Amino acid sequence: MPAASTPLPSPAAEALDQSLSPECRVPGSKLYTLARLKAVKAALKEKRPIRVLSIGSSSAGLGASASYPVKLENALEQALPDVQVEVEARGLPGEVASGAGERLRSMVAEMEPDLVVWQVGTNDALARVGIEAFGEALDESVQWVKSHGIDIVLIDPVFTESLADDAYYTQMVRTVQEVARREAVPLVHRYAAMRFLSTQRTTEAHMLGRHFRLNDLGLRCMAEHATRAITLSLLQPEAAKDAGKADAGKTDAVKTDHATSGTAKTDPAQTGTSSTGPTPAPKQP
Amino acid sequence: MREPNAIDFWRGFALVTIFINHIPGNVFERYTFSQYGISDAAELFVFLAGWSIGLATRGRDGAPEPRLTTVLRLLSRTVEVYRAQITIMALALAMIAGCALYLDNPLILEWHNAGGFFADPIQTMVGVVLLTHQLGFFNILPLYVVLIAIAPAVVLIGRVSRVLLLALSLSLYGASLVFEWNFPSWPGEGDWFFDPLCWQLLLVLGFLSNEATRESERLRRLWQRLMPLGIVVVAVGVVLAVLELRPDPMLAPEPRLVFTFDKTYLSPARLIHFCGMVLAFQGVYALIAPHVGRLARFLSGLGRNSLAVFSMGSLLSLAGQFVRFQTGGGIFIDISVVGSGLIALGFTAWFVEWRSRRPRPTRKAPDAASSADSPSSSRSA
Repeated sequence: MPAASTPLPSPAAEALDQSLSPECRVPGSKLYTLARLKAVKAALKEKRPIRVLSIGSSSAGLGASASYPVKLENALEQALPDVQVEVEARGLPGEVASGAGERLRSMVAEMEPDLVVWQVGTNDALARVGIEAFGEALDESVQWVKSHGIDIVLIDPVFTESLADDAYYTQMVRTVQEVARREAVPLVHRYAAMRFLSTQRTTEAHMLGRHFRLNDLGLRCMAEHATRAITLSLLQPEAAKDAGKADAGKTDAVKTDHATSGTAKTDPAQTGTSSTGPTPAPKQP
Repeated sequence: MREPNAIDFWRGFALVTIFINHIPGNVFERYTFSQYGISDAAELFVFLAGWSIGLATRGRDGAPEPRLTTVLRLLSRTVEVYRAQITIMALALAMIAGCALYLDNPLILEWHNAGGFFADPIQTMVGVVLLTHQLGFFNILPLYVVLIAIAPAVVLIGRVSRVLLLALSLSLYGASLVFEWNFPSWPGEGDWFFDPLCWQLLLVLGFLSNEATRESERLRRLWQRLMPLGIVVVAVGVVLAVLELRPDPMLAPEPRLVFTFDKTYLSPARLIHFCGMVLAFQGVYALIAPHVGRLARFLSGLGRNSLAVFSMGSLLSLAGQFVRFQTGGGIFIDISVVGSGLIALGFTAWFVEWRSRRPRPTRKAPDAASSADSPSSSRSA
């Protein structure tokens, strides 16, 4: 069962992404799926600061320099030299399936960012909301953000050993992936990346096993991984297939993107077509 | 101990609704009235708090109590509510951490805004004490602390002029909506989940409603005549909620918050809907009370001890969330979780009253004129 419920198959010998800190290194296919980011690109062209709204469980935007949003901002500014990045961070209490999407809209309307980085699924998983209701609500929210010409990057939920065999949880992670693919938005595979890191016998991998701490490392890696997905997505060509980066053309999201090329507007026909993904795991009783 | 009455009844009703709504995903959630309108139990709770302040700051004969007594009473109440908030925050964080350790599951540490505390305890501890770091579902009491803290001003201004009080309150509300004034979060970015600058209006409305209807028979009759209007508002609310029709905040004209259905800022749509609810349901208690004696006693008992019941309810709903998560939920689990929670809330109310009834060994000479020694259990908001 554990193998069947893995969101992504594991190609054994893929090279690690060397652009990341040694302790955060993960093969590219485990790390992200890419898609275009039009609004951020436009901001880059106009040479104005990029406004990023970071939303989710670790995104309370803490005052300390060690916090995830600050790390995200630093990592983005490092990756995009000469570009000013302003990260605003908000926690988002509540479930996407019941009301959090509404709050997200208020936040987006208040800030009008170029890019939303949304770490999604934790609260819904903890409440064990229906997978379909979650998928639909998430899809709706992502469509809404896109419909206002704002880019969005999703980050799927955390990996934890204790839920590795939990069919519901892996299905949840997969639903986030499906929505990202359906809506052609970049996705940071936090789950797969952490799962990969947990198998590396590094000294710091202990955070994922027993006696874990919610330490620096997990959040720093997440910031780096999100940054990597964003910067590579920015390199996505407008319509042509030849990507600047070797690994950019591999992913599903890119293909989907080409298929629906040019239409930034949401396609109502896509709504609600659930479970286009790989074999759905059975729901837990 | 008060006899069951409409105010305590509806307060108990709000508490039960909040308890159920704070276990997201459970089957009973969809049967709470919050799913069928624009406003929800939070509005009811704050409005009735205002109403009760009016009751608590008058003597049995209805005469206003001395000003200093009012100030001290509400100050003492503020301390109690603050103490409750700090206590339940500490317990909630420990429950989250303990549960994460016990289940060996770091996911739980990211529960509704708790992640900040565990990632960054130095700043966040300060934020907890300052009420600027709030967990999801634990954000009503911080609002309540602020509202009770300003309540002396509400009561004293109200005694001078009710029109002045309403004008001040409305101006603050309007300005906060237009300029998006709110209390800041810290160390997290963002603002309070419940903006006290807006929500104070409901407290004032509750207070003024009690004051005005106490004296004016004409006003009471006018309210009764407006009941059909209230029913129309409620019906519209049901339609909007069921069809999920609401304005898109990106498309709303400026000032945006006036037009959206925003909970944080208690946008006008929520306020109007709530007032409609009050008009529509004003007579319901008198109608049903004779037929549902036990229910009325149970809910009134909860309402009389709202702070203790609310605090326990917050912790129980958190525990209920963990139980649902670990077991995977389902109808049987939901019935057990909600059922045992309601029994525990009933016990809490009974226990608080039992404690305050117990004769205390070091008690001073009884003071018949005031019940200041136990403001929490009997009269205060």
